[in-house]
This record gives sequence, structure tokens and C-alpha cells, in this order.
Amino acid sequence: MFDIAPDHAIGLLAGFLALPVALTAVLLRPARRSVLGTQLAASVLMFVVGAIHLGLVASHLDEPVTAWLFAANGATYIGLSQLFTWRWWRPASASLVVMSVLGYIVYVIVGLDSPDQVSIATKLLELVALGLVLVPVRGEPATARRTWRWTALGIAVPMLMVATTSSVWIVDLARPDARHAHAGAILQPTNQVATPEQAAAAAALLAETKAAIAPYEDWHAAWAAGYRPGGPQNMPSTHWMNQRYVDAGYVLDPNRPQGLVYANSRQGPVLLGAMFQMKHLGQFGPDPGGPLTAWHEHQDICFTPFGFEFSLMTPTATCPVGSIDISVPPMLHVWIVANPKGGPFAVDIDDRVVRAIDNA
Amino acid sequence: MRDSSKPEAAFVLLLLQALFWMAAGISAIPFAVGGEVFMLALAMGSLLLALGACLLGIGIVWRRRWPRRLAMGLEVLCLAGSLLLLALPVGANHGLVSWMVNVVLPAAVILLLRKPASEVRAFN
Repeated sequence: MFDIAPDHAIGLLAGFLALPVALTAVLLRPARRSVLGTQLAASVLMFVVGAIHLGLVASHLDEPVTAWLFAANGATYIGLSQLFTWRWWRPASASLVVMSVLGYIVYVIVGLDSPDQVSIATKLLELVALGLVLVPVRGEPATARRTWRWTALGIAVPMLMVATTSSVWIVDLARPDARHAHAGAILQPTNQVATPEQAAAAAALLAETKAAIAPYEDWHAAWAAGYRPGGPQNMPSTHWMNQRYVDAGYVLDPNRPQGLVYANSRQGPVLLGAMFQMKHLGQFGPDPGGPLTAWHEHQDICFTPFGFEFSLMTPTATCPVGSIDISVPPMLHVWIVANPKGGPFAVDIDDRVVRAIDNA
Repeated sequence: MRDSSKPEAAFVLLLLQALFWMAAGISAIPFAVGGEVFMLALAMGSLLLALGACLLGIGIVWRRRWPRRLAMGLEVLCLAGSLLLLALPVGANHGLVSWMVNVVLPAAVILLLRKPASEVRAFN
């Protein structure tokens, strides 16, 4: 969702190239003086959206229905963008935008398209255009159906925005691609199946780490070594980080892991495993176990210094007020307790494991 | 003589911005329910900000002066914060949508709300 699909890049290029053409087309029309600025702005946006859709035809020729829909939609957008003096321009344009956005939502839900930056940006342009088409302007003639347009604006834009955002987000969470372990975590690219050597190396890493962090089963020893809990303590588990080791940038050193993970049980902190972390964004660490020990990087998460808490950035690239969008350098967990869901190097610990420890 | 339509265009953009903040606020609630208590405050703050942006937009359509000034201040703050975040090496999203929503949108609202001498009457 936060990437640009290769087959959509051409649409983005077409949109950028169309912008000066759209502006020139408006400026060359003497009729522009007789219409509102909101109409002209909507005309430019519709032209750009039409160009993006036309640009996508070439990269979707192997999907004839989709290619035809892009062509028809793009041509209609560009045609309508130039008819802003037409009496029925507003209802026709509003209908086109609504149908186009609803069509996209259906395509995404059915699985015929994966949301990406080009498609989300195009929907945003369409919704801005819809708002500009519908919004009544002070001083317009009484025949302008102001009440109807305010009502349509107040209903259509919020409804379509919520429907688009939620559909994109739900689909992205429900159908992550092969490299996304879960929302916000991208996996290191590796070979598909571990070789016997990689399996042996992964087992050795697990054994070394288990032995090296055994003293920290007593959390007092971890505290003495410089590990400190981060984030809320009322969650099932907490990462304890050693800032000295983070700053030093030790790489996959079982004796000096950057973090430890403890279950917050009724009996106090119970050691679940270690976390190795690289120093820089995008720099995945050594991967001795191939697909078994793939590192992961948390991207596009909303972090707030209040309580060191996290949430996820929305598809419209917005975080809750008081938090900022960050990414965290790649990390690798080594779970020293049995982790039925994912194994000893999984991105997450199985909730059932933590619950079982808590109930023990 | 017909009024400028810039306030109405600014209203549309503020409405969309309010919807973005509303979505961000709602998205924080599950995390608050999951135990991140401060996220509840952030969610409420985001929802209140969304409501505020909507009300500012209405005030701008009514050609009131104080909503215009407040909206200008809010957008300058948003734009400065977004540019700072994009400049810092914290791994903030540099995608197309992020630029559109966090940079282009506030900049467009500022441009629409600034008051050239020839359009002083628009906000009188």
C-alpha cells in the first residue's frame, strides 16, 4: 500500500505530464472567465485523473476488461473536464467520480487490484475534484441548487473517503504480500526453502542465544546489565532495550543482544527471548538461517513519546495527533520458549504462549 | 459581482483533512483498547482536531476573519511539522500520498487563504 506497483508507475508519469497540458487547456479557453475557480480546478484535476487512467491502459493489456474500463474512464474524465460550461456538467462529473471510486473499491475488495500509492493518490484527487464540483459558491445564481449540492457534498465526500480508506486498509491487512509478515513489518528477502546448512546455522544461533541470555531469566540481572523496559507494562509482553548495545551496533552477537523480551506475568517478568537490532534503517543483518532467520523492519508506524506507544499509519499517511510516523531499523527475534505459531525466529510470539506463562 | 471561490475550495480541502484526522483518531482506538492508554488521548485529540478543522472550514465559507487566521496558523504548523519530519532521518514515509496529504494539501490551503490586496473584500 505504501509502494508504487510497477504496472502503475506509467500512470503516475502520465498524470505528471498531463498537468501542464490541463492547465494550458483551461487557460486557452475564453469561457474560463464565465465559470468559477472551483470548476476550473476540478477540470484540471479531472484531466489529470483521466490521463492517469489512460496511462494505465498499456500496462493492463493482459486484462482486457480492466484495460477497457481504464480507457473508457480516462477518456470520459478528459472529455468531461473540458465541458465545464455545459449545463449538466456538475451532475455528470459527480456521477463519474462516484462511479469511478466505487468501481475501484469493488476491484480492491474482489482482489482484482492491490492498493498502492498511485491508486490511493488518484482516489484522493478524484475526491478533491468531487468536492470542488459540488461545493456551492457564494454569489452563484439561485438556480444553482445550493441546498442539494451542500447535502451531496456533506454525504458523498465523507462516505466515499471512509469507504475507500477502510477498504484499502482492510484488504492490505487481510491480504499482505509475501514480504509483509504483518501490518507494518517487512521481511528481509531470502531464498524460499532453507538448505540443510541454513537449518543447522539457525539451530546453532538459537542454542548460542539461549545459553547467552540464560542469566537474564532473572530480570534483576538484565537490569544490572543495562536493559530497561520500554512501552506500557500492562501489555502481554515488553521489550527491554539496552541502549549501550544499540548505540554500539553489535551485529547478531548472542552475548550482547540489543533487546530482551519479557512476558508480563502475574509472577513478574518471564524471559521469552532476545532481540537483535541493526543500527540503520534498511540495513538487514546477516541471515545465517536463510528464510528461517529473516530479519524484519517495522515501517510506517505512528510513535508517541507519551508512554512509548505505537499505532499504525493510515492509508492516507496520517498519524494520530501527538504521534509521528517513523520506521525502526531491522530486527530479529530469537524466542527461547516454544513458539507454536512461527517458530523460534518468528516476528511475533504466539499470544497463547504468553497466556500459558501467565496462568502457570 | 460574484465572490471569489477560494474560500469554498479551502473548505473542501479542510473537509478532506478533517476526514484524514478522523481516520487517524479512530485507528488509534483499537490500540488503546489493547492496553496503550495514551493512545486514547491521542485518538480523542485527533477527533477533536478533525471537528475543529471542519468548523474552521464552515467559518471560512461564511467569510469570517478569525477562522481564516486560525486555519492559516494550523496549516503553517502542519506544513512545518511535516517538512521537519520528512527532513529528519527517522524513517518517515516519503511516499506520494504522504507528500500530497502532509505537504501539498496544507500548502494549497495556505495559498487559497492568503489575502491578496485585490481580494480583500472576499473576507470582509
